[in-house]
Amino acid sequence: MSLVNFTAREITCKIVYYGPGRSGKTTNLQYVYGRVPEARRGRMVSLATQTDRTLFFDFLPLELGNISGFSTKFQLYTVPGQSYYNATRKLVLQGADGVVFVADSQARRFDDNIESLQNLQDNLLAQGVDIRQLPVVFQYNKQDLPRDLILTQDEMDDALNFRAVQSFSADALHGTGVFETLKGVSELVLKKLAAGSQVA
Amino acid sequence: MRALEPWVEAPLQTFLTESSARLILLMTTSGQVVAQHGFSRSFEVMTAAALGSAIVASTEELARIMGASRFGAVVHGGSQQSCMLSAFGTPRGRWIGLVVFGSETSIGLVQLFFDRLVEELVGAAPREQPARAPLAENFEHELNASLKELFGR
Repeated sequence: MSLVNFTAREITCKIVYYGPGRSGKTTNLQYVYGRVPEARRGRMVSLATQTDRTLFFDFLPLELGNISGFSTKFQLYTVPGQSYYNATRKLVLQGADGVVFVADSQARRFDDNIESLQNLQDNLLAQGVDIRQLPVVFQYNKQDLPRDLILTQDEMDDALNFRAVQSFSADALHGTGVFETLKGVSELVLKKLAAGSQVA
Repeated sequence: MRALEPWVEAPLQTFLTESSARLILLMTTSGQVVAQHGFSRSFEVMTAAALGSAIVASTEELARIMGASRFGAVVHGGSQQSCMLSAFGTPRGRWIGLVVFGSETSIGLVQLFFDRLVEELVGAAPREQPARAPLAENFEHELNASLKELFGR
């Protein structure tokens, strides 16, 4: 849940990148880390296995700047995608203000995307959060792969985006769609905060 | 010292004086910073809070799997300095304390004064929740400008 410091006029929001294993969640954070000025970001922490698979989470603190007189900070987290890490996914998801669901556009990963989205809904529900009440955007990653290997954005929307929330086509490795996705979820999170329903 | 709400500051200052701890960070269970003393960079505070809350969360999950209700404090001992992590309930929800201390004090003293800190925080916490919508309706153009500046596009 967002924390608002009225004394120091600071807002801190938690955004979680969710999705199946190897869909590009860590790549999103690495790209943001590499492009944002050093003064506006902290160190990127990756709790990963020896083969660089996310074991617990990646974490990247970002300073968005001044919004409505509040210094606004975002904490970006990823979860481990593999199904057997569900316990740690639940822990990272706690208190999320917004979720970016990073789906793998490859046709052969179709079932993995569905399973991961179902898992997100289940884990939110276990924490008493209805996914319909939470700011969520979709990112369809790996859209740079050959057309015969992937589903288009419209096809991905049909498969995953039942609520017709914002979705973004992306090639996270080269940065396409990465900032647009972050901007999309940032707007949703702050709009919800502006509505006054999340102030702690 | 920086605190989300002013009533946290006095108990925290007392704790620091009595325990001789070097750093303290209070955070929510989801890793949001509530108060801190001793950290020089805000990004370091956020990272410490993310890692500290993760350690406590995974420890509590381990306890649940092992059939224990909850473990007490978690202590990491180092040659120069050590740290203690402990979760506790407050009227504002469940919080976590991360305390860094050196050889000028001991884990026993830190734990003793931390328990007192928890009592004082629970006693001092206002029961009513602050609920104010902080953002102007037209915040979006400021958000867009900030993001444009941040991402250079």
